[in-house]
Amino acid sequence: MLAIREMVRRKLQFGLVTGVVTLIAYLVLMVTGLGLGLNQLAGTALLALDGDHLAYSDRSNLSVIRSQLSEAQVKDIASAPGVKASAAIGYVAAAIEYQPGEVETAALLGIDLGSIAAPKVIEGRSLTPQDRRGLLVDRSWASLTGTRIGDTLQVPVGLATEPFEVVGVADQGSFFFQPAMFMLRDSWRTVSYRSVDRETPYASVVLLQGGGLDGTRGSGWEVVTKDTAFWNIEGVSAQQGTVDALKYMGLLIGAMVIGVFFYVITLQKVALLGVLKAIGASGLYLTAQGMLQVFLVSLVGTVVAAGLAVLTKATVLSSDAIPIAFTTGAVVSTTVAVVVAGVLGAALSMRQIGSIDPIIAMQQQQ
Amino acid sequence: MALLELRDITKSYGEGAQRVDALRGVSITVEPGEMVALVGPSGSGKSTLLAIIGGLLTPTSGSMLVAGADVAKFDARARSRYRRDQVGFVFQSSNLVPFLTARENLLLVGEFGGADRAALARRADELLSELGLTDAAGQAGNRLSGGQRQRVAIARALMRDPSLILVDEPTASLDSKRGAQVVEALRDEVHGRHKACVMVTHDLEMAARADRVLEIRDGLLQVHQAAV
Repeated sequence: MLAIREMVRRKLQFGLVTGVVTLIAYLVLMVTGLGLGLNQLAGTALLALDGDHLAYSDRSNLSVIRSQLSEAQVKDIASAPGVKASAAIGYVAAAIEYQPGEVETAALLGIDLGSIAAPKVIEGRSLTPQDRRGLLVDRSWASLTGTRIGDTLQVPVGLATEPFEVVGVADQGSFFFQPAMFMLRDSWRTVSYRSVDRETPYASVVLLQGGGLDGTRGSGWEVVTKDTAFWNIEGVSAQQGTVDALKYMGLLIGAMVIGVFFYVITLQKVALLGVLKAIGASGLYLTAQGMLQVFLVSLVGTVVAAGLAVLTKATVLSSDAIPIAFTTGAVVSTTVAVVVAGVLGAALSMRQIGSIDPIIAMQQQQ
Repeated sequence: MALLELRDITKSYGEGAQRVDALRGVSITVEPGEMVALVGPSGSGKSTLLAIIGGLLTPTSGSMLVAGADVAKFDARARSRYRRDQVGFVFQSSNLVPFLTARENLLLVGEFGGADRAALARRADELLSELGLTDAAGQAGNRLSGGQRQRVAIARALMRDPSLILVDEPTASLDSKRGAQVVEALRDEVHGRHKACVMVTHDLEMAARADRVLEIRDGLLQVHQAAV
């Protein structure tokens, strides 16, 4: 096939542009990975919860930080039409001392035992009613601080700290860019409000299972989907917007580079393309050859970039401290996006190929 | 029966005071197995006439019958098929695809569709052998000598067994000895395969090797001569 033979025989020319596409696709993939990693930090713990919806205080503007629900409201939410199961969850951010003088922040989530909010334990054991000073820490916390089961962490309560024992490890990810930790909800109330009485908030939000709950409202509360809840986590939408802008800029640059390369290469080949038309090649055949080259350059460049990106994550950027993550879906969709951008970028050149007049085969020699 | 029959072909560019008449009523017939040379000074209209015969340009008026079909009325797609199936072009500078070998340049026409590729491969080997190019078959187009390139171009023109061979200044980039060899090879193919051939040339010595020489001046056919 003419297109492939040209690429094979003009290795330097096509190798260079494939290299440039690789670099651009690599940049786009890393930005995509960064967005994914930041999103995981922002709320994998929320997304991992075994429910479809979340109920907030209607004055919280869908902020888990500001949402406070009373016991009556939690009961009201649990009995709302369509609710199959519910779990009250408390949230507070805390600076945890894991070694004398060594502090890291964590997202403390208060849960009820046996509820749908209880995390799956991957190491150690689950919390029990007796674990009023017990904690389940996320795998990322254990990796970051070297904490092991049986270790004692100092959790701030008011201006003082109290010792909590790590009883197990969960794999729920992060919440608000901090590793998640789980404790009994009663303990959470103490940690958050020091003294607990009838006026103390009962939970921050309520996790719900059930259908058709989105938009349900009650006395001082409202229900949204888990997806809406995620995008309302402070900073997530702005962060995703920034990442998307960088990604689209990368795709635009990729499209322009591929477009300019094939435009120049088409200009260089106008005479040859004219000759091919003169000896019987149709515009469709020549355009198909050009499109095949664009597709192959974009595909090879992007696939190499995907390999490099995954390799980079597995080696140089393997630490949990660097928020870059890849999923098969993200890599495939980004690969497709770069290839589509390349094909669109080269559309002008392909149009030019179709419109070359075969008479040029004779004119060029006069 | 004539393979090619041009009746009162005109070609004009521009309008009003800017109008230029490149051809002013040219009528020609060419028989199968006949090689016709078109001569004339630069700007006389001979290349325009060749382009019209080859379906690269459409005439302003007149009819052009090739094997009975009026090519002048073909649309762009039909002209493309006409060039592919019925015309073999040989250009001044051979215009081979530089990154393909001599053999690949011949086989390339099979990619344009409507041909049996296995038969084309056999035909390519046969033509390379006939034209003394067997040893050069694997060499890239841009590494062949000028004479070899023109012979490959002749072979490419014959690949799809067209009824009409159109040749534009085939010896312009060759010395007289190699030029004569190329025209002889072309003449042998035209006669041997019973093709109709129209060759545009400045070189009267090469034109003399044709069966008939036609002269064009200012867009008009001047003289019909017998072969020298």
